[in-house]
Amino acid sequence: MQHKTFAQIESRYFYALTALGALIAGAGMYAAYYIEEHGHVVTGMNNHIVWGLPHVFAIFMIVAASGVLNVASVGSVFGKHVYKARAPLAGLLSIALLAGGLTVLMLDLGRPDHVIVAATHYNPTSVFAWNVLLYSGLFATVALYLWTMMEKRMNPWSKPAGLLVFAWRIILTTGTGLIFAFLVARQAYASAVLPPMFIVLSFAWGLAVFLIVQSVMFSWNELELNPAIQKRLKNLLGIFIVGALYFVAAYHLTNLYFARQTAFEHFILLNGGIYPWLFWGGYVLLGSALPLLLIFHPALGKTRCVLAASALVILGAFALLYVFIIGGQAFPLEIFSGYEVISSSFGDGQIASYAPSLPEILLGGGGLGIAFLITTVGVRALNFLPHDDPKAVQQD
Amino acid sequence: MTQLALVIDLNVCVGCHSCVTNCKQWNTSGAAGPLVDENPYDKDPTGTFFNRVQTFEVGSYPQTETMHFPKSCLHCEDPPCVPVCPTGASYKRKEDGIVLVDYDKCIGCKYCSWACPYGVREFDEERKVMTKCTLCVDRIYNEKLPEAERKPSCVIACPTGARIFGDVHDPESTASKAISERGGYPLMPECGTRPANHYLPRHKTSMPIRSEQLYRSDNPLKVDSIEPIPMPPAHEDFTT
Repeated sequence: MQHKTFAQIESRYFYALTALGALIAGAGMYAAYYIEEHGHVVTGMNNHIVWGLPHVFAIFMIVAASGVLNVASVGSVFGKHVYKARAPLAGLLSIALLAGGLTVLMLDLGRPDHVIVAATHYNPTSVFAWNVLLYSGLFATVALYLWTMMEKRMNPWSKPAGLLVFAWRIILTTGTGLIFAFLVARQAYASAVLPPMFIVLSFAWGLAVFLIVQSVMFSWNELELNPAIQKRLKNLLGIFIVGALYFVAAYHLTNLYFARQTAFEHFILLNGGIYPWLFWGGYVLLGSALPLLLIFHPALGKTRCVLAASALVILGAFALLYVFIIGGQAFPLEIFSGYEVISSSFGDGQIASYAPSLPEILLGGGGLGIAFLITTVGVRALNFLPHDDPKAVQQD
Repeated sequence: MTQLALVIDLNVCVGCHSCVTNCKQWNTSGAAGPLVDENPYDKDPTGTFFNRVQTFEVGSYPQTETMHFPKSCLHCEDPPCVPVCPTGASYKRKEDGIVLVDYDKCIGCKYCSWACPYGVREFDEERKVMTKCTLCVDRIYNEKLPEAERKPSCVIACPTGARIFGDVHDPESTASKAISERGGYPLMPECGTRPANHYLPRHKTSMPIRSEQLYRSDNPLKVDSIEPIPMPPAHEDFTT
């Protein structure tokens, strides 16, 4: 095990990676400018589908920003050294993902130039407004946590700060789930199971992101990851994938039980075109079953398998969010209960169509570019990479 | 408390879209506009319309009917779009119950569109703010207009008089009387939003008359020895 006191990505790699991140982020910013200049008519969004692909990216990053703190929380709450050593990297990743996600979210607003109004005219009854506070609060609490860990004088405060971050991230992901759980108007949502479902999804998605970034950063810094740590984290990922599947199944099964929801469930699970394909093929098969096989099969479960499983979990996350957000809007509002609408002018009662446009793809990708840039620069500039003590690993 | 609203008579609406075009004309030229018109004439028209007439084919061939269903913001008494707005841009006026959007506060997050169970929120793709029917608030109180014209532009335009405008909390108003006397109903009452706009149901205009109403078995003329009109056969015999 090689010990280095500081991150040492070779300069030329570092600058190449930074340039790549800046390029992707720049393309995203240009896309945002293009949408702002020409209006939302250049996107695939319309009056029926008002949140498109950028929201899929944004919500993934925000949920993962909470979940990536898993290892930090295990370190703080249970005092495990192996996890505590990873807390600074988890904190940095959380800030990076949150910054990327919020950038996309804000730039996908109709009027991002008016976003300050959300602070000056705060509506306390709006769950959307609560989330503005929760997102800002996560930035602040994670920054405080990082400070208590990285400033020696503040080290005694790192445990309470870690507990604060733990509580805050659970509330934040609850808030994200509530954005949908409070929606009684659309059949896809209005379910009390959504906040806990988002919490468990955040565990899986965040840990998948963490495992990939940890491996990549160790590789770029020519460090070797202890296989015992790898094994422990991959088992944790497996448990989270199963937990997420359980909640997604509970959500759909409860919907199937309600007669008025069965048409929606048939749409999402059976005959809704791209949505059943993405759900079964993207989320269930590629995003859950295959990663579980890669993690738990006795002949597999090595570093490459864990990395592949993590990448597949992220792929499945995008598939699930696409089905959840866009499929949920595509299914028509039930204005004439008990009647099937075959045709209507202006598309009322019909399945809405949506095709993401290039600016939307670039904007969503730009958020990932920002998160990548912050992580790469952060790891280079500050001491964020884990330093494992082999004795402590064995004790834990 | 006053609650202004529209009462729409589905019995006489012929789906001519006069209300749609007049609404668009007034609002695109006034304080609520301009309303974007990206592709207004093709098969799948796009653009911002505060009022849309949905046309449905009801039933299966050959028992089909065409039904026109004008739909705009229903100015709910408990509007779900108002509490969800993060900036308070969506609000309900206390003085007349009209639900409005303050464009200066709207950040275009579109969350109100998710919350509306009727799908009547219109995101203006060019101005990038959420818009909706204002019940022509800039018209109904406009003292520069003759009093007879201080009504929503859709009401003035309707050639069949299918739209009634008034205070649905005032039992003496024409709108309230139409609701109470002609079975006016709100859209999707199960949502609990208490829509202020109401619809008057469609009626069949046929008048069924039974043979007993035309032919009396105890015809009083029989007393005067005049032959009564014979009763029609109970079942028509097609074999002879």
